[in-house]
Amino acid sequence: MSDVAVAGGQAARRGSLGSVVEGAWQPPGTRRVLQLALAAVWLLDGVLQYQAFMFTKGFSQMLAGTAPGNPSVIASPITWDARLVEHHAILLNTIFATIQLLLGLGIAYRPTMRAALAASVAWSLGVWWFGEGLGGVLNGGASPVNGAPGAVIIYALLAVLLWPSDRYTATAPFTAARAVGAPAARALWLILWGSLAYFALLPANRAPEALHDMIAGMADGEPIWLAALINHAASLLAHQGLAASIALAVALVVIAVGVYLPPPGVRATLVLAIVVAAVIWVFGQAFGGILAGGATDPNSGLLLILLVLAYWPARAGGRVPAVTVPAAAQPAAGQEGGVA
Amino acid sequence: MTPSWILDILAAVMLLVAAVSAGRLVVARPWAGSPGDADIDVAHLLMGIAMAGMLVARLSTLPNDVWDVIFTVLTGWFGWRVYRESRGEGARVLADGCHMPHLVHSAAMLYMFVAISAPAATGGSMGGMGGGSGSTMQTLNAPVVAFAFAAWLIVYVVLDLDRLAGPGHGRGSYFAPLAAAPARAALVGATAGSGSVSLAVASAAPAGPGGSVAPVPPEATGPGQPPGAGNSAGAGTGDLAGSARAILLGPKVAAGCRIAMGLTMAFMLVIMI
Repeated sequence: MSDVAVAGGQAARRGSLGSVVEGAWQPPGTRRVLQLALAAVWLLDGVLQYQAFMFTKGFSQMLAGTAPGNPSVIASPITWDARLVEHHAILLNTIFATIQLLLGLGIAYRPTMRAALAASVAWSLGVWWFGEGLGGVLNGGASPVNGAPGAVIIYALLAVLLWPSDRYTATAPFTAARAVGAPAARALWLILWGSLAYFALLPANRAPEALHDMIAGMADGEPIWLAALINHAASLLAHQGLAASIALAVALVVIAVGVYLPPPGVRATLVLAIVVAAVIWVFGQAFGGILAGGATDPNSGLLLILLVLAYWPARAGGRVPAVTVPAAAQPAAGQEGGVA
Repeated sequence: MTPSWILDILAAVMLLVAAVSAGRLVVARPWAGSPGDADIDVAHLLMGIAMAGMLVARLSTLPNDVWDVIFTVLTGWFGWRVYRESRGEGARVLADGCHMPHLVHSAAMLYMFVAISAPAATGGSMGGMGGGSGSTMQTLNAPVVAFAFAAWLIVYVVLDLDRLAGPGHGRGSYFAPLAAAPARAALVGATAGSGSVSLAVASAAPAGPGGSVAPVPPEATGPGQPPGAGNSAGAGTGDLAGSARAILLGPKVAAGCRIAMGLTMAFMLVIMI
């Protein structure tokens, strides 16, 4: 049964007083739910950007800190941008925060969804360069534990995969394939998770104390219970950097190729991906450092979980259903109705 | 420190929300008939005033202890409303119930007043988020709770925005219970002589308690009269007033108030972590 059929049935349910509820709110489809989740994360980012710390020199120093180790063609614009932010901290940070708020609001509001998604891709690419130094991909410091290849690039990837197009819906075995097709979606998955496996094995990450130090460093400023969890996890990895990196890389390779398996294998792979992403998010990223204050986003763990959900196999017949929208439920042209 | 002019703007928005909520109450006249969902407008009015005072010290009105009591009562009230709603809807009210967001809003306000920990809060009232003197940033105890509330509020903001233009919007949907009873009152109070008034009321009226449909009774439009057949005397001013009332009591205004309030509340929670 299609999502629309289900929603349509619910729309005609009976209310508590026995009267028929016509036009009642219909639960959005999977793609719309993921779009709304992406909108919520953008809104959260926008709100985080208004924190007091972001209006200080600390923020420009944070930006400048992403430049070292990058090729000069990458690093120089970052340094220039950091200097600009330092001199106009209040104005520019207010603009940054407001843009992110507008992206979240725009994605959530259906008439502006397409424009906001497109803008979010452009903004993400800009932040990836000027705000995250390309996620450390080129300076040898990238690690899946610390957020490589940059949380914000996953925003862009999600915006592309959740684009409200149904060009490939008839053959799409999962939500992420509806806009770009299953082969392209799987290739993007393979590149992302394969690159994470590669980063896990970089020399800087497989040193004996590398993972321990990286994780232990996240405990500063966190609530006591979270700091205790992080410190405990770090102590388990003391002197185990190489073994832990290899184990993590193996898991990431399995995840990367797992989307090419039959549906039961895909589901097992995605469950593994959720577990790995959740472990990284909690222990390696401390929820992005939000609870300690001064975080700009929830980091990559949460975004990876959202991405996984976009690849979850469709239920009926292994294909995302092609839908026919009842006339009464059709939104205005250019909008995506409850048909995701 | 977050620039004071940002806090000033948000305080102004909250006062606007409070004023709109007060306007909705005055126009709907819940004391003259069915109270409908006046509690939601009362909650928005109080929250708007309280939040403005939290954002800007000079707008602070009541001592914290009074606000504690007010938001404890509101939380209890909306908890009871959600309980009533859940008896028919079950767990669905978490996402679809029209009172659940107000329960979260009230609880978040209560949390903020109880958990504030800066020295400025030890006096009679909050000194504004800039810390009153401008030297001390107020923070909240139990930041996990603050973050959880902020995330929850953002989820409701996103859902509200989605519903504004989603399938079924304006046809007795999620927001309609906010405006259903007042809309009827507006219809009775106004001359209801224009098509625009009838249309606006028709779009706002279908839902009743619990989100179910409660068609506008025939007597609401006057005995034997169709919605568009109002008094001819004073029809011009009646049209204008009726249209204004319909807009003020419409679901989009209610939704806008809730979105603005939820987003501002999330902002306050996050910057006080």
